[in-house]
Amino acid sequence: MPKDAQHAPETLLDVRNLSVDFRTPRGRVKALRDITFPIRKNRIVGIVGESGSGKSTVLWALLGLLAKNAEVMGGEARFGDRDLLKASEAQLRATRGEEISVVFQDPMTSQIPVLTYGRQMLDILYRRPDVSAAEKRRMAVDMLAKVGIPDPDKRIDQYPHHFSGGMRQRAGIAMALLTGPQLLLADEPTTALDVTMEAQIIHLLQDLQKELDATVVVVSHNLGLIAELCDDVVVMYAGEVIEAGDVREIFHNAQHPYTRALLECDPARIDDVSRKLPVIPGDIPDLTRALSGCIYAPRCQRAMPVCRTETPPDVRRGEMSQARCHLLEGPHHDPDWPPPLDVMTVGAGETSASKPARAVSDKPLLEVSDLNVQFETVGPLRARLKGIDQRHVDAVLDVSLSVAPGETVGLVGESGSGKTTLGRCVLNLVQAQGGSVRFEGQDTLNMPEGRFKPLRRDMAMMFQDPVGSFSPRKSVRALITEPFQIHGVTDVDLDAEAERLAEMVRLPKPFLSRYPHELSGGQARRVGVARALALNPKLIIADEPTAGLDVSVQGEILNLMADLQAEHGLGYLIITHNLPVVRHIADRLAIMYLGRIVEEGRTDEVFARPVHPYTKALVEGVPQPDPDRRRAHVSISGEVPSLLNRPKGCDFAGRCPIAQDRCRAEKPPHVTMADGRRHACHFPIGQ
Amino acid sequence: MLYYLAKRLGLSAVVVCLVVLVLFSLLYFIPGDPVTIALGPRATEEAIARYAEKMHLDEPVWRQFLIYIGNALTGDLGLDVFSDRPVTAIIMERIGFTLALVGAGMGWAMLLGIPLGCLAAVKPNSWIDRITGVLSVGTIAVPSFLVSIWALLIFAVHLRWLPAIGAGEPGQIGDQLSHLILPAFAIGLSWVGYLARMVRASMLEVMGENYIRSARAFGLLPRRVIFGYALRVAILPTITLIGMGFGGMISSTVFAEIIFARPGIGKLIFDAVMARNFPIVQGAVLVATGLYIFVVLFSDILIAWFDPRVRESL
Ligand SMILES: Nc1ncnc2c1ncn2[C@@H]1O[C@H](COP(=O)(O)OP(=O)(O)OP(=O)(O)O)[C@@H](O)[C@H]1O
Ligand code: SF4
Ligand code: SF4
Ligand SMILES: [Mg+2]
Repeated sequence: MPKDAQHAPETLLDVRNLSVDFRTPRGRVKALRDITFPIRKNRIVGIVGESGSGKSTVLWALLGLLAKNAEVMGGEARFGDRDLLKASEAQLRATRGEEISVVFQDPMTSQIPVLTYGRQMLDILYRRPDVSAAEKRRMAVDMLAKVGIPDPDKRIDQYPHHFSGGMRQRAGIAMALLTGPQLLLADEPTTALDVTMEAQIIHLLQDLQKELDATVVVVSHNLGLIAELCDDVVVMYAGEVIEAGDVREIFHNAQHPYTRALLECDPARIDDVSRKLPVIPGDIPDLTRALSGCIYAPRCQRAMPVCRTETPPDVRRGEMSQARCHLLEGPHHDPDWPPPLDVMTVGAGETSASKPARAVSDKPLLEVSDLNVQFETVGPLRARLKGIDQRHVDAVLDVSLSVAPGETVGLVGESGSGKTTLGRCVLNLVQAQGGSVRFEGQDTLNMPEGRFKPLRRDMAMMFQDPVGSFSPRKSVRALITEPFQIHGVTDVDLDAEAERLAEMVRLPKPFLSRYPHELSGGQARRVGVARALALNPKLIIADEPTAGLDVSVQGEILNLMADLQAEHGLGYLIITHNLPVVRHIADRLAIMYLGRIVEEGRTDEVFARPVHPYTKALVEGVPQPDPDRRRAHVSISGEVPSLLNRPKGCDFAGRCPIAQDRCRAEKPPHVTMADGRRHACHFPIGQ
Repeated sequence: MLYYLAKRLGLSAVVVCLVVLVLFSLLYFIPGDPVTIALGPRATEEAIARYAEKMHLDEPVWRQFLIYIGNALTGDLGLDVFSDRPVTAIIMERIGFTLALVGAGMGWAMLLGIPLGCLAAVKPNSWIDRITGVLSVGTIAVPSFLVSIWALLIFAVHLRWLPAIGAGEPGQIGDQLSHLILPAFAIGLSWVGYLARMVRASMLEVMGENYIRSARAFGLLPRRVIFGYALRVAILPTITLIGMGFGGMISSTVFAEIIFARPGIGKLIFDAVMARNFPIVQGAVLVATGLYIFVVLFSDILIAWFDPRVRESL
């Protein structure tokens, strides 16, 4: 990085001692305490931390857009000669969107659905009265072209719902950069996007930052993204900055035990899949209580008695580098801390082994063959009137898959690839148009509900958003025992069952009387697991079992699932788009694209030598939590086509870097290779 | 879009037919022979026979029904029993008064209720929000005929600020307007409350949306954020409410027109029912139904115009 070699970069925005409280019925939440860090000019600064650590609150405080119940308790944010925290509303309004702009987390909800992009962008330029409307429109079109929107002069007149997720985020970036701001704030800019889209957006941000000489702040809980994109990193924990520094310092020589623990927990960093996943025990502290000593002490792997009573020193090693820990300075200084990165400092938590040797029987539990599911898109009358002859889309196309008892199969694909439909079809929640689904040898496809119901006890579903799928008025006890009621099981002692299940998922007993909104993400997930296990199923279908969980908790859930599998010989079908996670837990992987399985094989082999170009792109698309392994280019461009216009030949032909004429003409059939791997590609890699 | 319109119009036709059917059966089953009513108790046998033939009363009911529908389609709603004038002409004379009343009533309610709801939502728990809250509950609770009577007693009888009865001299706009004020006030009042509540609720919801935060983060003026962004989305459910509420509005005009002795469809129907003047009742209810269907259709189209997602799904 040449910009490091020159003089020290000047500071664009200096955040000093920022403290923010939220007034709530439970008392004051001390959401930010004494936040200090510089944002250096022309750099990309990453803010990492677990959910609830206050990352977003920092951004909104800088913009003066905190929630109404928030109160800035002190500190300053120097931006040029102004203090943003003391600026008037009118001054702030002149700054927002003009000098400091924002890219939002969820492009699906952060753009108004009833106005065209043109209208929205014109509105942002309202402070330029001397520029004509035609000129403004041209600026907007140019910016859309710059962020890679094809046909910008037509698409500018479209509405957000005409754009796919990735395109919307591109447009969001275009809107933010339209005024040429000095500082761009991005709050989780890729969290709502698929893997291949994420890689493209990271790249786009990087290119634009260089081209426009802008300064960017990126908030994320994804360490890989931070390592890939950022120059400086700020690590937050429970409302404090516990460490900050250059990206290499943070990822190669983290000083604070929390930073260190975060790095160790990231499944993407752990190459040895047979090792158990490390976890940080405990939860973020309750910020309404008075805090003393080190904020991280209750969870810290190196906590000493002094940590609970005395505030650790702020150790500074330069303008940017800081860390807050007794181990680094003073009487409790430990010269051997931190140990080299390959030494683990955190354990695997309360749960034990993650991948015990387990008996995988060869008689399949679940066997899906040539399954086809179609959805009707237009009614018969409308189709006749409009002359549409293609009335259905294929959501699942010729899918074959099997799960043996004690085996974990990962089903991977981007949104809209048909993963969830396949899962629902197995559970007889969607009608299929062809093929077969066998459960323990019995054909269950399109079985009438009355006959299928007893089987439902043997297969359980773990939902993607546990809190959303729980009834908010039911206690945890009632939720866990609900399956008994649904299946009319009356010969059990429900209270005893609730306690047994809670213990199985290691949920402390007092939690049984709590309600869903009183649970943390990890706890809610445990309740979901307990529910799924209630009737001793043989097969569990888990839809994104760790989506939205922090890395520290994710390990706990995955270890738990592995333990239960070892104990009860469960079969798992795990639906996800998180590759680092499936790499850890799945024995076999099936990669889906547009409703078809394009590759299937043993997890280690698929990762080591993907044969389908799409698999290769996915594997390479995972950002690595190591700044020295940054990618020079994105291996795949474009987006997943709509099911409505499925290509005639290979579904992937439009994006495939090695597509030939033959690919566009004929659909590649499924081929089984000598080692048992199956793929659907005319030109498999390395063959 | 064309497909959608065709579908909607088809449905509307079915609804109109059903309404006519219901009216027909109602009139058929209630006591009172239409011929006796039309010709009086002392009509001769011959006169009765002639009248029955003219009105197709000797045909089976289903034939009568079909004939009626066929005629209605060509704009012929039959003849008034008493005056022998075409029902269509009678309705046309009055419909203007009713439309003016409904328009004025809904108009002032919208002009006041929508901004009130907006302001209340933008500053929750402020004095304006509280006043709006009290006002909504108060106005919704009071039935419009009570408002009519009280308004009549206070402003017309006691204070003598405004005329009490009639619709004003034909041709004199000022006079007609002054006659419109009290009834429009009476039927619109509870709508101020409905609309303020509705707009407040949907504005509160929309103001919490991410895209409103985006608009503010781009530094747009509060005015633009509230009226250009939030209201544009929040108004959609309100439009549906107004369209659906149009039916209730027509029934409150019945009271207002009776109390203020205004000529109009409401009063026409009331008088005709009292006099068992079936052709008028049928015709007027049919026209009112048609009007209602048209307004609901219009409000749906308006929503489609505001919301591109709806527009494209049509
Ligand atoms: N409006 C509010 N009222 C009360 N507490 C709030 C409010 N907004 C945030 N908080 C609290 O402030 C703390 C910081 O929240 P913040 O949203 O900044 O975290 P975050 O790091 O952005 O988390 P995430 O990764 O989940 O987005 C949390 O404890 C949160 O519960
Ligand atoms: S101060 Fe103590 S508890 Fe805090 S991080 Fe350092 S060692 Fe851990
Ligand atoms: S069949 Fe052709 S287009 Fe499809 S993945 Fe293989 S090489 Fe690419
Ligand atoms: Mg956040």
